[in-house]
Amino acid sequence: MRTKDGHFTVLIALIVILMTSGALVSDGQYLSLFNLQSMAGQVPEIGLLAIGVMLAMSVGNGGIELSGIALANLSGVVAATVAACFVSASGEPATFSLIFILAALTVGLLGGLLNGLLIAYLKITAILCTLGTQMFFIGLAVVLSDGRSVRVGAPAPLYDIGNGYLFEVPVSFLLFISVACFIGFVLRYTPFGLWLMMTGSNPKASEYAGFPKHKVIVATYTVSGILSSLAGIIIASRTINVKWDYGTSYLLVAILIAVMAGVRPEGGYGRVVCVVLSAITLQLMSSMLNFMELSNFVRDFAWGALLLGFLAIGRFRLIDFFSPQVRAVSSSVQSPQAQKQ
Amino acid sequence: MKFSTLLKNSAFAVAALSAVGLATPASAQDSKAITTVVKISGIPWFDRMETGVKIFADQNPDMDIRQVGPANADSAQQLQIVQDLVATGVDALAIVPMDPDILEGILGRAMDRGTIIVTHEADNQANTHADIEAFDNSDYGAALNERLAQCMDGEGKWTTFVGSLGSRTHMQWVGAGEENAEKYPGMELVDPNNESFDDANGTYEKAKEILRKHPDIKGFQTSAGNDVLGVGRAIEEAGLTGKVCLVGTGLPNPSAAYLDSGAITAIGFWDPQKAGMAMNAVAKLMLKGKQVTDGMDLGVEGYESVTVTQGAGKGLLIVGNGMVLADKDTYKDYLF
Repeated sequence: MRTKDGHFTVLIALIVILMTSGALVSDGQYLSLFNLQSMAGQVPEIGLLAIGVMLAMSVGNGGIELSGIALANLSGVVAATVAACFVSASGEPATFSLIFILAALTVGLLGGLLNGLLIAYLKITAILCTLGTQMFFIGLAVVLSDGRSVRVGAPAPLYDIGNGYLFEVPVSFLLFISVACFIGFVLRYTPFGLWLMMTGSNPKASEYAGFPKHKVIVATYTVSGILSSLAGIIIASRTINVKWDYGTSYLLVAILIAVMAGVRPEGGYGRVVCVVLSAITLQLMSSMLNFMELSNFVRDFAWGALLLGFLAIGRFRLIDFFSPQVRAVSSSVQSPQAQKQ
Repeated sequence: MKFSTLLKNSAFAVAALSAVGLATPASAQDSKAITTVVKISGIPWFDRMETGVKIFADQNPDMDIRQVGPANADSAQQLQIVQDLVATGVDALAIVPMDPDILEGILGRAMDRGTIIVTHEADNQANTHADIEAFDNSDYGAALNERLAQCMDGEGKWTTFVGSLGSRTHMQWVGAGEENAEKYPGMELVDPNNESFDDANGTYEKAKEILRKHPDIKGFQTSAGNDVLGVGRAIEEAGLTGKVCLVGTGLPNPSAAYLDSGAITAIGFWDPQKAGMAMNAVAKLMLKGKQVTDGMDLGVEGYESVTVTQGAGKGLLIVGNGMVLADKDTYKDYLF
């Protein structure tokens, strides 16, 4: 039997509540197609970073990913610089987009690989390692771009990733959902997913069980780096420019999303679907506060309150409290959270 | 879903809905709405701008006028706010971009949607109907230098500070200052264009060095907002108050002590209050479908006769004459 996951239920409920109340305060404007598209277009960049944080947390060993947004910006800056060396964005938009995307993904892969190698083989604590690489990535991006924003322009295929629609749904959102589904599938149905979660929940046991622990850690951070560069591609496409200091506030928001999604900071447990829902919840909330014409400081307050609320749910098992049957089941299991799902 | 979970969820719903009940109702149906979006909320510069936005709101009770801004200095957060505002269907946006380039995409889409866009401090913004600048940069630099020359009696060594050599406006200001100083053959420019990086402490150290190297220096013209504080402190500590002149960009409140002591001769700035009013005035004109023409009076002090030229994109570049030079006697009119 599956362990009851309170976060999933609560997040779904919150989304329904936010949508209803948003519609109420804005005379339905909040649920207009334009706003739904606008909100869906804002979720992917932060959502991808949050999935990266989730993976890093789940693999354990005090895992965390602080270099996400820095790597995303670096990918954008490098890709824009490299692509502009070969072709002009307006002259050959398709080639430009292809080079841009490949270059960005390569940078993400290398950056993530660097994090993984440092953490797995040099045994540097993840928080220190990713803090260090964060500064390293920022520094590189500043040097490459001279501290200014680098113009990407609007070459057709690339521009459509951030601004296009497929069946009225933003392409970036579809991309985000498909990446999330893919990662979710890998975590659930492949040996790699099992190794990842087991390494996180009990590193020692998984080592004795013969899991390739180091390789799992390296692979996890590499995937996380690739997700960052995907976020970087979406940012570049949405804003037509890339800059090293874009989204400095995303660092903590991505962690907030992961914790709200019930990812265990100690490792071993996290669900991609909850991270997606949690990113959507935060977006709905911040857009609603903007619709309600409230100060943006209220948003920080509301996010903080939400986070504390979710921590309380996790800590005191409020969901179990409300469902006695589940509590009975889970108390008979030694470590229910270590189970998959 | 279990009944108990439902119960709990409905408790959530009640809590959320009661929070919503406190919210202001959506704007009245047929009145036009202009929202000013600033770089950051809660700092003195933009609090001062908000006073201007409020004055404009009082003058136009039929319109829905307000100011918002991100809680952190992050262009991504400003982008989100602008995106949400465009989605609410606001009629006009008056924006002080954190990073003009980052906003190009959404501003382009907003204009396609029929939203009027007015910007400030972004003369390179392509996707805007009008960008408003408080003053012409060369005029400002020349005015600062003229005030310095007046204090120095047109005689002696002087030097300049810029935030960084890459800062376009700062270089324009000191460049115009140098040009102006050519009118006074007795003025000798030494070691020009010191970089301050807008850091009062670093500027203080550098100013001390310059005072040691040129004991007979008579004047400083500075550019970044904190430069006057650093140079002012160096002058005061060297006991040269009143003997060395210092004119530069600065804000009245932080500079008050040095202005009173005489270490700072005069500060130059533009009043964000008036800039906020001017942005809203232009947005209102455009909402009514009126043209903004060269020499027009926007009805805001310092913007009585604006220069209108073609901007970086399809929009207009509107330049006012909103510079303020304040000294010991006049800074109290602009406390922010």
